[in-house]
Amino acid sequence: MTSQYTCLVVEDSPMMRQLLVLALSRVKSLQVVEADDGVDGLRKLATGKFDIILTDINMPIMDGLKLVKRVRSDPAHKDVPIIVVTTEGSDEDRERALQLGANAYITKPIQAPQVIAKVRALLKMDV
Amino acid sequence: MIRSKPMAGKKGRAARRGEPPKGSKPIKEADGDLKRKRDAFLQTFFQRGAALTEELVVENRRLRLQIEGLEEEGASLKTQLASDDAIRDLLKKIGHLEREKARLLSAVHEHAEITNRFADVESELESFANLYVASSQLHASLRVRTVVRNVRELLLQLVGVRSLGIYFVDDAERHLVPIASDGVDLSSLPRIELHATPADSVTAVVERAFLTGVPHVTEGPIAAAPAACIPLEFSERVIGVIVVYALLGHKKEFVPVDRELLKLLEAQAGSAIVSAYLLEHADALLPSPDVLRKACA
Repeated sequence: MTSQYTCLVVEDSPMMRQLLVLALSRVKSLQVVEADDGVDGLRKLATGKFDIILTDINMPIMDGLKLVKRVRSDPAHKDVPIIVVTTEGSDEDRERALQLGANAYITKPIQAPQVIAKVRALLKMDV
Repeated sequence: MIRSKPMAGKKGRAARRGEPPKGSKPIKEADGDLKRKRDAFLQTFFQRGAALTEELVVENRRLRLQIEGLEEEGASLKTQLASDDAIRDLLKKIGHLEREKARLLSAVHEHAEITNRFADVESELESFANLYVASSQLHASLRVRTVVRNVRELLLQLVGVRSLGIYFVDDAERHLVPIASDGVDLSSLPRIELHATPADSVTAVVERAFLTGVPHVTEGPIAAAPAACIPLEFSERVIGVIVVYALLGHKKEFVPVDRELLKLLEAQAGSAIVSAYLLEHADALLPSPDVLRKACA
């Protein structure tokens, strides 16, 4: 079966990345590409077409907020839906991410059904 | 044939001669009598006729009324019959609706069961996914720093811990010594002297978990620190403890999958840390096949 959609997961924690990839593997027709941080994410964005991006906020080298800003200013990806993964107590970061153009957020500890539901909703996939 | 008997005696003879019988009334008087009799007869006749007619009229009226009554009764019976049919139809419809209701209720019940089952399966799946990720990440590195970081991350990211401390035993000194922390300054964590009178309730819980090897995990809403205290096992002994001081604000209590993750840490985190340390100090050298073969013999 060929994948209809491609999702970019940008997360520096291998554990969280693995958990997100595992959750997203339950979404049919969705292929997942992983990136370690914002810079790696931009590099991977430049190499292909992505339908949705999931990014952590606190990351080394380039954090999630900068990534959101860069993606929104890039004509090629400005309309790609972005979900930011935040931790409790980072309300300012979350607000900032939404102001910069993120479409939704998920709070850690993440729950697979919540991740799946948000991705499906933003991709307008049938349940 | 009946012969008329001739009149006998003087009367008969006088009659035959046309003379009025001796001692009888004169003719005019007789005619008057006859007329009176006739009138009386006619009057009686007509009176009886009138009475009979009257009777017939009354009877006719009675019969008509009876017919009317019977017609009404018939109509009423017809209506009742129709009404009975309608009731029968309604009862049939009620029976059908009752069956439909039972079928729908059963379907709703079945749907609720499926939904509950789905939620259970979803929860199990989440639990397995978390355990799989935690287990694989715990052993993904053989560097002490990375293993400890993974332990902390597991608690922060998967369980939702706000602050924690990892203690390791100093056998010689009989102390528990903090080696890593998150959400709380490492230097602020006390060394815990074993078998000494506990300074506070947190220390008492930590010491008890270490000495008994029985984890302390708060049931229900967390009211006081520590939320949990997990002994770290290594080769059938306890070598340290993980103290969970507090959870994130939106997380009020541990859920089943958290307890499974804490069990996983109890069983594997100590081994992962010690194994990583030993390998680091062996310069990450792999044992030779001969050494392994001898060890397996």
